[in-house]
Amino acid sequence: MAKVEFRHVVKRFGDVEVIPDLSLTIEDGEFVALLGPSGCGKSTSLFMLAGIYLPSGGELLFDGCIVNEVEAKDRNVGIVFQSYALYPHMTVRDNVLFPLRFKRMPREEVLGRVIRAANLVQVEELLDRRPSELSGGQQQRVALARALVKEPQLLLLDEPLSNLDATLRLTMRTEIKSLQKKLGVTTVLVTHDQIEATTMADRIICMRAGRIEQIGTPDDLYRRPESLFIASFIGSPPINTISGEARDGVMCAGAVGFPFEGAPGAVTVGLRPELLRFTGSGLSGRIAQMEPMGREILYVVDTDLGYLRVLEHGSVAAHAVGEPVSIGFSPDDSLVFDTASERLITTARVGPPA
Amino acid sequence: MVAPGVFGDLPSGPAAAVDWDRMASRARSLRRGKAAALYAFLIAVSLPIILPYFWLVTIAFSAKTGVADTLVLWRSMAVFAPAVIAFWLVAMLAQNRRQLWLGITAIALIAMLAFALLVGPDLHLRNFIFLVEPDFASIVRSRVGEVRGAIQFPSVWRAFGNSILIAGAQTVIVLTVASLAAYYLSRFQFPGRAAMLRSLLVLHAFPVLTLIVPMFLMLYWIGLLDTLFGVILVLVAFELPFAIFIMKGFFDAVPWDIEMSALTDGASRRQAFVWVVLPQVRNGLLAIAVFTFIRGWEEYIFVFTFLIRNTNWTMSLYMYYVRDDVMGVNYGVVSAVGVFYLVPSLILYLAAQRYLMQISIGGVKG
Ligand SMILES: Nc1ncnc2c1ncn2[C@@H]1O[C@H](COP(=O)(O)OP(=O)(O)OP(=O)(O)O)[C@@H](O)[C@H]1O
Ligand SMILES: [Mg+2]
Repeated sequence: MAKVEFRHVVKRFGDVEVIPDLSLTIEDGEFVALLGPSGCGKSTSLFMLAGIYLPSGGELLFDGCIVNEVEAKDRNVGIVFQSYALYPHMTVRDNVLFPLRFKRMPREEVLGRVIRAANLVQVEELLDRRPSELSGGQQQRVALARALVKEPQLLLLDEPLSNLDATLRLTMRTEIKSLQKKLGVTTVLVTHDQIEATTMADRIICMRAGRIEQIGTPDDLYRRPESLFIASFIGSPPINTISGEARDGVMCAGAVGFPFEGAPGAVTVGLRPELLRFTGSGLSGRIAQMEPMGREILYVVDTDLGYLRVLEHGSVAAHAVGEPVSIGFSPDDSLVFDTASERLITTARVGPPA
Repeated sequence: MVAPGVFGDLPSGPAAAVDWDRMASRARSLRRGKAAALYAFLIAVSLPIILPYFWLVTIAFSAKTGVADTLVLWRSMAVFAPAVIAFWLVAMLAQNRRQLWLGITAIALIAMLAFALLVGPDLHLRNFIFLVEPDFASIVRSRVGEVRGAIQFPSVWRAFGNSILIAGAQTVIVLTVASLAAYYLSRFQFPGRAAMLRSLLVLHAFPVLTLIVPMFLMLYWIGLLDTLFGVILVLVAFELPFAIFIMKGFFDAVPWDIEMSALTDGASRRQAFVWVVLPQVRNGLLAIAVFTFIRGWEEYIFVFTFLIRNTNWTMSLYMYYVRDDVMGVNYGVVSAVGVFYLVPSLILYLAAQRYLMQISIGGVKG
């Protein structure tokens, strides 16, 4: 198990600077998620950890030792690729055994470890099959077994669930999380799926264009996003945003005035769909669309300020399409961002129009 | 859902009654006609392709010294041609695999029986005398009473060994160099990579024969003229560009991530290459191996130019000189040498064809 540290790490591909300056610490035994949109440099960071890419600058430390120059094969890192990258010409047994082939180890111990790793992810019946004869979920487990069999000090998962169907994804999410807790191995999960990140990780590192946007627990990121980017990236269905101009006590957006508390200036207000309610007074509009989501119903409301999403509990629709409604919310649930810098203004509040 | 009237006013109702039976029977006869035409074509094409080989074998086992006997050939053909036609007819008419195999077995049995009756009495092994008697030319000639001027032949096994050596060594070198070079070209960026790829193709475009004089001079000056090693080097040089190009296509198709995975699993770059990447391009290696070996096995013009001593003769040279020396006397011996020369490449193809069939050159790109 290891504590991992990035110190001002830079990565360039030719002239393209993919990661300008990355500094972060991952504690021993921690499960962190690297979350960010496609192309933001998540895989690149992961591959630097694995030793596949050499950092162009800065330092990478395992347990306080600089490992920049240490070769991939000596890092004792287990990795599950997005494509699983199983060796197609080998049986599952040989795939799982492969990492042990390069360690001097007695034959019985090797086979014992393979069986234990296979048991851990429940693929013991599949040991004699080839990867092409496995389902996506089974391949994923085998890849996990192969990553775990050498008892790595660091486990890297590159979007391991993206090829699975929704139910299987749910199961594997739980399984990977409990496995990680059981083994206590430091784990980095790369994903662009915020639900995956929030459900599995102890801590989320949100990245954008090679930079860290915010680090925090899933709850931090959800309740106190430091920037508009995080606020819109985390949460499903996505947050509603209203841009306006704040002056003494009022924020004007279009023709609507919201009670405002805070310093004047151009602001953007973020309102979570599940924190909006249909009330007697507030922002008026008309229900344009209704999306039943099982235990909840998502209403898309056409207001003067554009479409707003409102999430209501209950599986029976209380409102019909075309019905006029007014939307209310508590000022404490509003998130106010500075429009220019997109940073959160922690002291500002916005209430529903009277 | 389609709104009414989108397709205009279609005729509807029972007014447009269709004679399905007539249409079905027309389609059926059309299909039969096409199948018949196809099989007629196959018969017409396959006969002249297979016949020479068939004759070669028949002559090798039946021709006698000094006798220009074509009667046996006609008789063998009377067995062979109907057999081929019957084969295609069975292929056309068989409803399933079982019928097909039954039909083919029946045809084969009948054909073999007819062959044994019509041609069998003429068959003998005397034309294969060259396998045991290096000086067979004198013996063959003495049967017709003119011994003078016979060429001194080396043992055919010597020529056979030389050919195996040339083809085998060439194959091993080409496989090794081509897979390493192609891997490097596929995986690494370096200055001049694009130019190198382009020149690989251009190199292969030259007719190799044009270089025969400079090659002769080069070998002469290096001191490799009239050595097997010299010929092997020349052949390797001419075979490599295309082999590299083909192999690069195969390596390009191997995903990066299994290689990266091998590296993080503790393999060195070389181990990852051997354990993980090479098995993925096995079919490519096999194709290159078979074609390179065959190419070396049938090589004629370079060995003819660069090898002089008769102990350095390859099978192609042996064949050439046999033809030169005893053709007029006994074409049975020439055919027998031909059969002997043919057998190894035939065996190789049969052994490898299962893999060769899986190869598509579609994976190749620049
Ligand atoms: N070998 C490379 N050469 C040049 N540019 C590269 C290379 N690998 C990645 N990049 C670039 O670096 C950026 C980050 O790539 P990376 O693979 O880390 O993205 P990612 O965050 O993993 O995205 P995704 O979620 O789509 O996998 C991308 O813009 C990509 O184009
Ligand atoms: Mg990625």
